[in-house]
Amino acid sequence: MIQKSAAFPISLIFPPQGHFTQPYLALPCLKAWLEQHGFGEVDLIDASIEAYDHFLSPDELSWAADRVRERLPLDSFGKSGELSFDELEGYRAAAESAVSADALISGIESAKRVVRGEEFYSPDAYLPAMRSVYHGLRLYSAAHFPSQLTPHNFTMRCANDRSEEVLAATLNEDENPFIRFFRERVLPGLVERQPRLVGLSVIYGSQLIPALTLGRMLKAALPDCHVTAGGGFLAYIGKKLLAAPGIDACLDSLIFHEGEAPMLALANALQAGESLGTIGSLDWYDRSSGSAVRVENPQGHPIRLEDAPTPSFDGLPFEKYFTPEVVIPYDINRGCYYGECAFCTLPTVIGPGYRTRSAKRIVDHVTELSEKLGTKNVNFITDCMPPGMIADLPNELIERKADLRWWCDARVEPKAYTPEGARNLYAAGCRKLLFGFETATPRLLKLMKKGQSARATLDVARNCTNAGISVTFYAMVGFPSETREEARATLDFIRDNSDVVREVSLQTFHIDEVAQTYKDAEAFGIEILDDEHADLQLYHDYISESGMTQTESAEMFEEMMAAFREHLPLFSGDNIYYFMNKSHYFLHLARDVAPDEFVELCRARTERRQSNATTHTDLAPAQDLGVATLRFRYTDVIRALAHPLARAVRPDFLTGRYVEDLVARADAEIGTIKPVENVLAYSSRGAEYTELTPDGKQVLDALSEVGSLDLLFDSLAGADERGRADLVRFAARLERAGVLNPTR
Amino acid sequence: MSDKQDQDSQTSSKPAEKLETLAEKLKLGKLDLKVEEVEERISPSETNVFDK
Repeated sequence: MIQKSAAFPISLIFPPQGHFTQPYLALPCLKAWLEQHGFGEVDLIDASIEAYDHFLSPDELSWAADRVRERLPLDSFGKSGELSFDELEGYRAAAESAVSADALISGIESAKRVVRGEEFYSPDAYLPAMRSVYHGLRLYSAAHFPSQLTPHNFTMRCANDRSEEVLAATLNEDENPFIRFFRERVLPGLVERQPRLVGLSVIYGSQLIPALTLGRMLKAALPDCHVTAGGGFLAYIGKKLLAAPGIDACLDSLIFHEGEAPMLALANALQAGESLGTIGSLDWYDRSSGSAVRVENPQGHPIRLEDAPTPSFDGLPFEKYFTPEVVIPYDINRGCYYGECAFCTLPTVIGPGYRTRSAKRIVDHVTELSEKLGTKNVNFITDCMPPGMIADLPNELIERKADLRWWCDARVEPKAYTPEGARNLYAAGCRKLLFGFETATPRLLKLMKKGQSARATLDVARNCTNAGISVTFYAMVGFPSETREEARATLDFIRDNSDVVREVSLQTFHIDEVAQTYKDAEAFGIEILDDEHADLQLYHDYISESGMTQTESAEMFEEMMAAFREHLPLFSGDNIYYFMNKSHYFLHLARDVAPDEFVELCRARTERRQSNATTHTDLAPAQDLGVATLRFRYTDVIRALAHPLARAVRPDFLTGRYVEDLVARADAEIGTIKPVENVLAYSSRGAEYTELTPDGKQVLDALSEVGSLDLLFDSLAGADERGRADLVRFAARLERAGVLNPTR
Repeated sequence: MSDKQDQDSQTSSKPAEKLETLAEKLKLGKLDLKVEEVEERISPSETNVFDK
């Protein structure tokens, strides 16, 4: 290791919002590389997990509840007598906060303990705890309405593809929850540390506004510190971003593609006081003339992956991730050896070339990390494991008795995933594989240039399933020219093979500027639509000559997802959280629970929750039960917001687009909601929003007064059988929702 | 129950009187005891393929 003489602190920061179950890999790779090349003071900050943990604390939720009462008073909605479309989201936020804030404030620490502890492995403890976590974020979001922070996304009222709106969002403290968070929780430590170089890792569109917010605050607080950024999302829009007026107030430079070489060169140049003009894959602002002049350097060379050191996760707060056990992310290779799929843009994100590590080096690194971090769980990061590696890696893991449990994405390689190959993978610790299935229609597979058939995918999947490996399919709806019938054929195919496919990761098709579908639109029978105001535009609407429209595709998504929820046990009822948090399901498999066994657990839980029977007669209202009488039915609002048009008006995680004129269309099509008095109830134990009628509330009040269901029955000795049966059913449903609990 | 008004109105009542009043009030068999639970729905914006 080279030793540098002068101190040169570097801080590498992962801005909100990224997934909260495990750290992102890029910054640990950069830290290790910089340390190997003599920069010994490299600090890692996962500001995303820090924000999640902080926001989901009793004090912050309490602050949020007060703020919601001020910003979204329930009686301010429906003044015209009906609830209009543009009031729905606010009303929902206000109603949920009114009824659940107290239970969430008192129950959030317990919920976090469940998710991070041994109780995680009990679905009856885990699922309500996860609901509390999601609902806690809804309460925190309501305090910044209409912004929404979920475990999967962060959106504000603006589009990600208009720099003027994005920059305005970085200054909007009323709606941007990260301004106060950065000021109070992140900046003080950085100001004390005085880093000379800060690197922000922007992988997802959801990180753009928070990253620029932090960049702006950093540049104001530490004027001598160089603030750079890089990562997958910026590989797409970086050139446009740096060209946008005002971005120089947030950033000094941008790194494109793989960060190791440019980041090291940048640190060296800054430390030596040299020009940044020779650093490959770096665009930067030359401020030597007094104003910021954008400079684009030529593309540099990627590193030899085999030379990269073991990633360093030192300093990351592992206790704060929402998981009971650490799952180590580790990249087997970078790039894709296939690289032909028409919809895929990964080469743009990752950079040119396909490189892999040797099986020996991979096992060296993951066993070292396993020992250091005290975990056997690994998430191999790979777009598709090359055929040779499918044999080499398991053999190396088995030979060296690594005893790890792992999961990864995979491409369908029939010659590699044979029955014997799959058994070998299982023996080497593989417990879950995710394959790009996309569609069951041969015509579309050909158009997509997938180079595989649905039948071959199924054979591979069956071999893996038979070996004990859980199989997930990635599927796509709305590829140009796809018809409803073709989408339904994909649905039927998956449904018919639900004994092989445990999960389906379904996406609606999007066109981004670097995919073949954009570059050669005519070949796909589509006309691309441009938005002249979107200077950061990456995703485009389009008109297809044949097949479903974009709106019809969104509707088909709903139809397919509803069918999956009916036919795939992992998607049924609240088991969906296992799918939404992929590593949580994996952790069960990592304990050698067989997929069939887990599916049975999910099925049994759903059946139990659908039952109207109760074995308890000593039921009484939960101690922390929140109850609110509402003018408009909560479930009417939820149903209206589930309409595809209502969903489309919010930016999604992938496109980050906000389609403004859809509000008017949604308003016209969805209509208004008429008042119907109803009652919403919520407790921390059930963590479910439960709607009752005013009659139901009367019964609830009666139960509160007499103390329990059996005492209520005593007092209703003259009631007929039907009335008593109604009451038992009612009590059973409320028990399941945690509204009523056994007193003993 | 966090509905403060409801709590306040309940604390001073005597149990024996309450039982009779409730039995009269409830009219069991004629009550609408429908319960609606809201299933967590997922949309394209929530199924992040990159999530772990």
